[in-house]
Amino acid sequence: MTTSSYEQTFPRPRRSLIPAWALQWATWLLVVTLIVGPFIPLIYASLRDRPLYEAGGVFTTQPYRDLFGDRAFWDAWVNTLVFAALTTVIAVVGGALVAILCTRTDLAGRKSFGRLILLPILLPSLGMVLGWIVVWGPGGYLTSMFSDRLHLPTLAIDTIPGMALVEASRLLPIAFLTCQAALSRADSSLEDAARSAGARPLRVLFNITIPMLRPALLNAGTLIFTLSIAALGIPLLLGTSNNIIFVSSYLYNTWTNASTPDPGSVSAGAVMMLAVATLLLLLRNRLLGAEARFVSVGGKSGRQALLRLRRWRWPLAGLLAFYLVFTTLVPVLGLAAMSFVVVLTPLVAPWELLTSAHWHVLWEDDAFRRSIQNSAVIAVVGAVATTAFVALATLVAHRSGFRFRRTLPFLMLYPRATPGIIIGIGFFWAYLLTGAFGDVMRDSIWGIMLAFCVRNLPLAYIVMYPTLARIGEELDRAGRAAGAGWWRTSRTIVLPLLKPAIFASFILLFVEIINDYDPAVFLVKPGTEVMGATMLSQFIQGTVGPVSALAMVQVVITVVVLAIGAKVFKVGVTGGEHGA
Amino acid sequence: MPEINVQNLVKQFGDQRALDDVSFAVKEGELFTLLGPSGCGKSTTLMSIAGFQQPEAGRIAVGDETFFDASRRVAVPAEQRNLGIVFQSYAVWPHMTVFDNLAFPLKVRKLKRAAIRTRVLEVLELVEMTAYEKRYPHQLSGGQQQRVALARALVYSPSVLLLDEPFSNLDAKLRERARAWVKELQHRLGLTTIFVTHDQDEALSMSDRVAVMSAGEVQQIGTPEDVYRRPANRFVAEFVGRVNLIEGAAATTAGGAVVEVADSALRLTLGAGQEASGQVTIAIRPEAVTLIPFDDRSADETNIWDADVGTVAFLGDHYEYEVSAGRIPLTVQSSRLVPGDRIKVHIPPSACAVVD
Repeated sequence: MTTSSYEQTFPRPRRSLIPAWALQWATWLLVVTLIVGPFIPLIYASLRDRPLYEAGGVFTTQPYRDLFGDRAFWDAWVNTLVFAALTTVIAVVGGALVAILCTRTDLAGRKSFGRLILLPILLPSLGMVLGWIVVWGPGGYLTSMFSDRLHLPTLAIDTIPGMALVEASRLLPIAFLTCQAALSRADSSLEDAARSAGARPLRVLFNITIPMLRPALLNAGTLIFTLSIAALGIPLLLGTSNNIIFVSSYLYNTWTNASTPDPGSVSAGAVMMLAVATLLLLLRNRLLGAEARFVSVGGKSGRQALLRLRRWRWPLAGLLAFYLVFTTLVPVLGLAAMSFVVVLTPLVAPWELLTSAHWHVLWEDDAFRRSIQNSAVIAVVGAVATTAFVALATLVAHRSGFRFRRTLPFLMLYPRATPGIIIGIGFFWAYLLTGAFGDVMRDSIWGIMLAFCVRNLPLAYIVMYPTLARIGEELDRAGRAAGAGWWRTSRTIVLPLLKPAIFASFILLFVEIINDYDPAVFLVKPGTEVMGATMLSQFIQGTVGPVSALAMVQVVITVVVLAIGAKVFKVGVTGGEHGA
Repeated sequence: MPEINVQNLVKQFGDQRALDDVSFAVKEGELFTLLGPSGCGKSTTLMSIAGFQQPEAGRIAVGDETFFDASRRVAVPAEQRNLGIVFQSYAVWPHMTVFDNLAFPLKVRKLKRAAIRTRVLEVLELVEMTAYEKRYPHQLSGGQQQRVALARALVYSPSVLLLDEPFSNLDAKLRERARAWVKELQHRLGLTTIFVTHDQDEALSMSDRVAVMSAGEVQQIGTPEDVYRRPANRFVAEFVGRVNLIEGAAATTAGGAVVEVADSALRLTLGAGQEASGQVTIAIRPEAVTLIPFDDRSADETNIWDADVGTVAFLGDHYEYEVSAGRIPLTVQSSRLVPGDRIKVHIPPSACAVVD
């Protein structure tokens, strides 16, 4: 090889037709429009004396005065806060205990427990509430069996503590994931050091391990508190009969039973809830900063000395298994049984009441059939679109020189803290105000899809960001140095490397969107039904059997898709994905 | 290959000055090294030349092309600068074969398939990696990945080559071979090169010229011999190689400058042409000092001090002495063992450099 053959001149790379800044601006504007957009009409609607679609409205604070003057609204806040506080305590304490048991002790079957414990947050939330009601609700199968036949006291899930238990069993995985991540990140030599200093294992647990978890507990607690404030299915289905009203069910009932349509006080209440959720999100951001300071030492994920439980090894595993059976398996079995019998009662053996009628309803009744079809279309299209869009926005946020890139992470996490019904009301007003576009969205499933996508978009970001952060920035710089522009570098180098996270995001979004319901309750019309909304309205009307069948459809789809995801794409829900 | 001009770069990170009026010029075909401890601004300078960071002030030009000029608001995007870069992590794209890694810059330049193939194979031969064309990066060793990274940076005949600590991920043996090999290739191809490192051995052995940086400022620019033998200041003396620092008051006499060493009765005569006055610091390299047995009276030169031997360490090719002349501690490298607890040290006047 001689020097002369090295020296060649090549054409300079040409600039791409669409400049990177145009693409980045477009992405940013779309994020802002989708996430901030629905809340502006909501705030506007809360300050008008009549609905936005009626001409001649004037500014007024009357909706707020109406709302604040209503004692029931304040009672609803008290109920909501007590419920959220109880839920948070149960979920955080439980999640932390399970995390410690599964990562720091030799509990029997700890690896399997670590995976199974995640199921409740992935299973359809409304379906699970229905399952609880079928089994443990007033007149539920096991309730009747225990109290009527065995004369034993049972768990009253239609009280605030009971409702908190149901909600906590769904949200416990968040605390588990956050604590698990913190425990595996923490340097185990801190614990080894205490052992060498003469501390016994249990003492290490209480003096070192648990204090180290403090930031994780605060962080998970704030998120769980925020999410449980937004719960809609539980107060509607469990609280109404005992007249326990939460803010979300107060707003729902006011909206659906109002004498004048679309009352401003609902928007005012939604704005208030939004303000509370936003404050909690800001608080949580500050806590996350504090947590980062806590884990300044990068831990080695090496061998860890596990706390030996000795004779507690099996009893504790049994207790955990009982918990899982009680909170997850029994409700699902209850749903399954309910969908195949005329009445579910301990008085008659279920096989004597077998029927397939409930399942027939699913394709014979238009509303049921359409809601399955609509949900499937919305979930597939929505998951693909959201994943693609969030991938692009994440690149702008973390791999570009775009001026406002630092606003994107906060914006993309914001809907996570926003109650679903508020997103629903926001989009309702937004579609009313956007003319022809809004009309199309209101009359088709795409309007509901957009609301679902915005609601679940934070999950895509939470899944993709950690993977992106692990892809060295020098890889895309090398692409730029080689002459490729921002978009070409992103397309040919960064996105292919992000593929596993993109698949994981698609799977998770599909599951979340197909099971989502609360943003839709203000948006559905005949023809645009989705599974969750149909289940809610039909159950309230007393149609239990077909609703159970529909819930089983959700459960089966969820389990199958997650299993495929785990098998084909190695999608695993790991620490931080739901937790962050 | 054109020359590189960097003028008055200023860059601020928060309230910390990352670059403080950094200027230098790299001649055609030269290997120019930015040397300094981490956080001194050497990588920021390199990334500013590459276009991945934007200084607040200053000008960067390669040949007659201005890449960056804060006063005229010129900032050519990184992908339009046509520079070759080898990154510290090599940044070989893991999802592409060796061939595809090299082909990418040529695809971006819209070359025909056949032309791409010819050129890629030609450059792979240049780095002796032809046999690995179809491999993926994870199937290569660190040294091989580095060759691929270098080949990828050279495949489109960039105007200049930028090396960002390219040897820091190699083990010691491999590193020495890689240095020699890169230096040879750079010289043979006549590549104008800027090389960033914190390793003074690397800087001294490879560079045509070195710029020593600290706290965002260029401390000294010179040949490796210049910065080692005639450090411009105390920082350069201490950072490049090991050094004894002696403080005292200087006065000029008929025989040249003489330093009254502080805290002792010792005097140090400086070499011809060295001027000094007032309080000064003198830098003396450990290997420049010679040890003489205490009873050897033959030596009758200037700057011979009596000293007590503290510790002696055997380091393979030399002995390292920690001695004290009066209260002045000195580190001395000696190729031979000198017996006795008391010895004499000889500091040649030409080995004394005034650094402060």
